[in-house]
Amino acid sequence: MSDTLENDIAGLLPRLRRFARSITFHREDADDLVQIAVERALTRSEQWQPGTRLDSWMFRIVKNAWIDEVRSRSRRDQLFAPEEEGEHVGDDFAAAHQQRLAIEKAMSLLSEDHRLVIGLVLVDGLPYKEAAEVLEIPIGTLTSRLARAREALQELLSDRARNTK
Amino acid sequence: MSFDDETLMAYADGELAPDLRARVERAMRDDPQVAAAVERHRALRTDVFAAFAGVLDEPVPERLQPRAPQVQPHVRVDALASAGARPLPARWSWTQWGGMAACLVAGVLAGALGWQQVQGGAPFGRQGDALVARGELADALSRRLAADAPSGAVRLGASFAAKDGQYCRSFKLGSTAGLACREAGEWRIPVLAQEDKAEQGAYRQAGSAMPAAVLDAIDQRIAGASLDAEAERAARAGGWQRR
Repeated sequence: MSDTLENDIAGLLPRLRRFARSITFHREDADDLVQIAVERALTRSEQWQPGTRLDSWMFRIVKNAWIDEVRSRSRRDQLFAPEEEGEHVGDDFAAAHQQRLAIEKAMSLLSEDHRLVIGLVLVDGLPYKEAAEVLEIPIGTLTSRLARAREALQELLSDRARNTK
Repeated sequence: MSFDDETLMAYADGELAPDLRARVERAMRDDPQVAAAVERHRALRTDVFAAFAGVLDEPVPERLQPRAPQVQPHVRVDALASAGARPLPARWSWTQWGGMAACLVAGVLAGALGWQQVQGGAPFGRQGDALVARGELADALSRRLAADAPSGAVRLGASFAAKDGQYCRSFKLGSTAGLACREAGEWRIPVLAQEDKAEQGAYRQAGSAMPAAVLDAIDQRIAGASLDAEAERAARAGGWQRR
């Protein structure tokens, strides 16, 4: 049985890494976070209830590991090098790259709650119901938090667009 | 008719029930402002998704692959107290086999310890990816109670109900100790510890002590207390199946 759980968790690793990348500020922190979450999941595998969604359970462990362990020692200030990429906009690839950097930067400026909800719903694509379960909040709270988070993100992105004109 | 921003966001996220969805779509046709608001939500979703999508194509670092948890040898466990186990003497040392592939463990143990010669055949076998009890060991696990007078090579430790609904029993067999859990008609062995060669002999008679790896495995699984003699007898009568 635990073999199956390990395999199922292994299958979720790409999504867990993507989610971790969206809530941390550094690639290595993101992988540290996933590693810690996987270890926690396996030592608490008896808390996993077969028949419920494993992805929601794993995302919740990632979220908790981030909040109570990894966040405090993250390398936040190392993520964003001076914006030298801003110099060579031109082809589509560079434009997409710009866009990606702009979004990563804007995400990093969001509050913790907002970043988590964006990471779950927009980055991973979890339905509201599952995202609310991961965050352990009622669905109404999730919806209003998501709306505010989008607003904040939109604002950061349009500020940036204005400033780089 | 107009909708609040949360409703338009939920529409863009595909979260609305069909009737409300249809009403939003009508409003989008009738009112360019509604259409534009929905489009903003959609565009943000698309952009944010695209910004992180590349992570899925990256190779996953090997260090993230799930492995069976490594038991911490220093963890003190008293789950076996009622079954007469004592804290592990410091001079005992054990090598844990739990994380290794079942076939490898079974093969190594059978070869190294000459268990082919044990009466009733090798005590370990392989069932898919799991290590399972065979021969005399399986027989003792199924039939004998911890309180029975010792006979044969197998010593039984504690029996208990695990959190996932199985019965598990700890055992010792010569210089090997482990935990066996009843699953699908087999005694599966999630943890096996081997007493280090150098330590064998002198302390063999310390009998009931279990290595920390096994005690820790019990602690992770046990639901409530270990079974007393009467509960153990009832479990055996039920074929070690819990309802």
